Amino acid sequence: MHSSDDQGRFRNIRKKKRLKKRKGKKYYSSKNHSIEHVIGFLGNPNVGKSSLFNELTGSHQHIGNWPGKTVEKKEGHFILADEYFSVIDLPGTYSLSGRSDEEIITEEFIVQERPDLVCVIADAMRLERTLYLALQAFELTDKVAIIVNMIDVAEKHNLEISRKKLASLLGVPVILVSALRDSSLIELKKFIYDAIHTDKYDFHPAKILYSSKIEAIIRKISEQIADRKVLKEYPVRWIAIKLLEGDNWTRSELSKEFDLETLLKTLEEIKEKESINPKVEIAKTKYSGLHTIVTQSVKGDLEFKETISDKIDKIVLHPIFGYPILILIYALFFFISFSISSPIIEGMSYLLNLFAEYIRSLMIQSSSPEIITSFVVDGIIAGISAFLLFLPLIIIFYTLVAIMEDSGYLARSAYLMDRFMNKFGLQGTAFLSIVMGFGCNAAGILATRIIKNPKDRIRMIVSLSFIPCAATLGVIAFITGIFFEPWKASLIMLGLYAFSIFLTLISSSILRLFMEKEEPLPLILEMPEYRKPILKNIYYLTWSRAGVFVKKAGTFIFSASIFIWILSNLPYGVSPEFTILGYLGKVFSFITYPLMGLSWEMIAPLVFGFAAKETIIVALGVIYASGDLKTVLLNLWSLPQVISFLLFQLTYAPCFATIAAVKSETNSYKWSLFSILWPLFLTTLITTIVYQILRLIV
Amino acid sequence: MTKALIDVKAGEKVDIFSINAGFKAHNFLADLGIHEGEKVRVVKNDYGPIILEVKNTRVAIGRGLAQKILVK
Ligand SMILES: Nc1nc2c(ncn2[C@@H]2O[C@H](COP(=O)(O)OP(=O)(O)OP(=O)(O)O)[C@@H](O)[C@H]2O)c(=O)[nH]1
Ligand SMILES: [Mg+2]
Repeated sequence: MHSSDDQGRFRNIRKKKRLKKRKGKKYYSSKNHSIEHVIGFLGNPNVGKSSLFNELTGSHQHIGNWPGKTVEKKEGHFILADEYFSVIDLPGTYSLSGRSDEEIITEEFIVQERPDLVCVIADAMRLERTLYLALQAFELTDKVAIIVNMIDVAEKHNLEISRKKLASLLGVPVILVSALRDSSLIELKKFIYDAIHTDKYDFHPAKILYSSKIEAIIRKISEQIADRKVLKEYPVRWIAIKLLEGDNWTRSELSKEFDLETLLKTLEEIKEKESINPKVEIAKTKYSGLHTIVTQSVKGDLEFKETISDKIDKIVLHPIFGYPILILIYALFFFISFSISSPIIEGMSYLLNLFAEYIRSLMIQSSSPEIITSFVVDGIIAGISAFLLFLPLIIIFYTLVAIMEDSGYLARSAYLMDRFMNKFGLQGTAFLSIVMGFGCNAAGILATRIIKNPKDRIRMIVSLSFIPCAATLGVIAFITGIFFEPWKASLIMLGLYAFSIFLTLISSSILRLFMEKEEPLPLILEMPEYRKPILKNIYYLTWSRAGVFVKKAGTFIFSASIFIWILSNLPYGVSPEFTILGYLGKVFSFITYPLMGLSWEMIAPLVFGFAAKETIIVALGVIYASGDLKTVLLNLWSLPQVISFLLFQLTYAPCFATIAAVKSETNSYKWSLFSILWPLFLTTLITTIVYQILRLIV
Repeated sequence: MTKALIDVKAGEKVDIFSINAGFKAHNFLADLGIHEGEKVRVVKNDYGPIILEVKNTRVAIGRGLAQKILVK
C-alpha cells in the first residue's frame, strides 16, 4: 500500500500549485506493472467508502461510523490483469462547495491530478442524498462512475434498484455492490477495469439545467471568462456556478485577471430583485433532478418508517435517561480501560525490571565501566520500558473508543453534550476530542478536525493540554496512592478529572473573548444508524489512533529518557543535588517554592514531564534516591505541598509530542508557543491561589 | 401558517418555508437537502438538538438554528 502522509501538501495546493500534472492520462510506473491508473473514491460520510477501499486494496486503516472523520489522504492499490490501479480514498464530504479543507482537497484532486476514474460511492438506502455529490462531480469531470453500496441492506428492505435505468438516467456507469460480499469485490474490480479500458460504458453525465434566470447568469459569466488564463483546468460552467454561489476562492483567483466589479454588482442586483439565493436554488434544482431519477429507477416502499435506531434513540437520547446512560457508558469505558490494563502493566513492569537487572548483572560481571552500565540500564532500558508500559492502556482505551464509534454511540454522545458545550461556545462534536485526549493529548488534537469552525478548533487545540492523558493519570495514581486511603484517592482523582475538564472549557471560553468573532456554525450532524461493530473496523480504527501515540510519543519518551539520564547523572558520581537537574530545579524553585510550595526536588521531575509525562515518577525516584520513594515522600511532603504538586502537574504544560501535534495542526509557531505558555500561566495562577489558601487553613 | 421548526412536535411532517441562518449554515443545510420547499419530518424534539428525517437520513440540528428555520 502507498500510504503517504502528504496531507499538508494537499492542503496547500491552492497556494502553491505544486502538484505535478501528468502528461496524458497514463504514466508508467517502475517495477513489474507497466501501466498505472489513478482512481478517486468520493462519497458522503458513512456510505462505506473506507470499507470498500479497504476490501479493494487490502490496506485497512480507517473504517468507522463517525460522519466526516476521514480527513487524511489515503492511497492504496490493487492489481488486475497485470495493471496497477492506484486508489485514493478521498475525505467523506456532503458536497463540493469548496467550504472546507476536505472539499478543497477533493476538487483539487479531480482537476489537477486528473484521475482516470472518479468513483462516487452512494448508499442504496439514501440514493437521493448520496448522489447529490455525483451531480456536483459531473460539473467537474466526465469520468465519473457510480458505486451504489449497501445493496444488502436495500434487499432486506425490499428495495429494487434498476442499475440500467439509473445508469441511463445519470449517463455514467453504475454498479450495485455490498462491502460485505466477496462477490461484489470481484465485480467491482472488473467494473473499474472495464470503465477505463473498454467502450462498454458511456460517459455522458446528466447535465443539470437550472432555472432560466440562473442559466442566463451562468451564460453571461461564462462569456466574460471564456478565454481566461487563470483556472484554465477548471470547466467554465463550473467556475460560473461557483461565482454564482458566492465562492470566495474562484472570485479572488479570477479577479487577478478580470475586473469582476461590474459583474458582481449586476449579480447582487439580480439577487436582490428576484430575491433568490443562487446557492440554494442550485442545490434545490439538483435535488429535484435527483428525485425524478431515483423515483424512476427504484421500486419499493421509500416511505418513512421508524427504524430500530430510532427506537434505541428514544431511550439513549432521552432528555432525562440519556444522561445517566451517558455517564454510565463513559464510567464503564474508563473503568474497563484501567482495570484491564493495570494487571497487564504490572506484569510487564515486573518482567521488564527482571530484564533490566539481568542486563545490569551481566554488565557488572563483564566489568564494563559503571557509567556505561548506568547509561544502558537506567537510561536506554528504562526509556524503552517507560514506552512499552504505556502501550496496554493506550491500546485498550482506543479499542473501546473505536467500539463506541463504529456502533454509532460516539455521535450520540456528541448530540447529548451539545447543549452543555454550547455554554462554552462550542458544539457537541468538541466533546469527542476531549474524550480522545484522555488517552493521549496528541491524538485528541488530531480529533479536533471534526470541529468545523477554524477558530473554534484552534481554541480547542490549545485548550486540550488541560486534559490529563493516560500518562498523567499514572502520576496522579502514584501520588494519591501514597498519601490517601484508597477511597479518598479515588475521590481526589475524580475531582482532578472534573477540574481538568472544567479548565479546558474555561480556557476555551477565555480565549474566545480575545478572538475575532466569526459566524458561529451551529451543530448540524448526521446521526448514523446503530450498527454492530465490526471487528476489522475496530482493529484498524484503534491502530490509526494508537499509532499516533506510538509514532509521536514513542520517539519522545525514548529520547526523553536518555535526556533525563544525562541531566540527572552528570557530572557523574555526585549526589542528585549537584547534577545539572539539581541546579535546574533550584533555579525554578526560587519562583515555585514561595508561590506554590514546590521545592527543587518536586519541580525538577516536571522539567522532564515536558518531554514525556510518564517519566515524572522515574525522575522523582532518581532524585529521592535514598530509600523507598513512597516512605521518603510521605515523610517529606506536607499536605498543602501534595495538593499543590497534584494540581500543578495535572495541567502545567503539554508534552513535546502534544506540542508537535499543535504545530502540525495549526501550522503556526505562535500558537505552538502559546500552547506552552498559556497552561503554564493559568496553572501557576490557580495552584498559587489554592496553595496559599491551604497554607492558612492546614 | 408558519412557525419555527423548534415548535414542531416529534412525528410531524412540515414544509420548510424559510431559513434565516448564516451563510455557511444555510449552505450546509442546502447541501444536505434541507432547503426552502423541502418536506422534512421531525423525529425528535425535546431537550437536545432537534433530529430531522430528510431523504431517509437523520440529521441533528442545534436548537438555536432550529429557531431560525420557519416551516409550514
Ligand atoms: N450492511 C452493510 N454495511 C456496510 C457496508 N459497507 C459499509 N458498511 C458499514 O457502514 C459503516 C460506515 O462505513 P465506512 O467504510 O466507515 O464509511 P465511510 O464512507 O468511509 O465513512 P467516513 O469515513 O465517515 O466518511 C461501517 O460500520 C461499515 O461496517 C455494506 O455494504 N453493507
Ligand atoms: Mg472513511
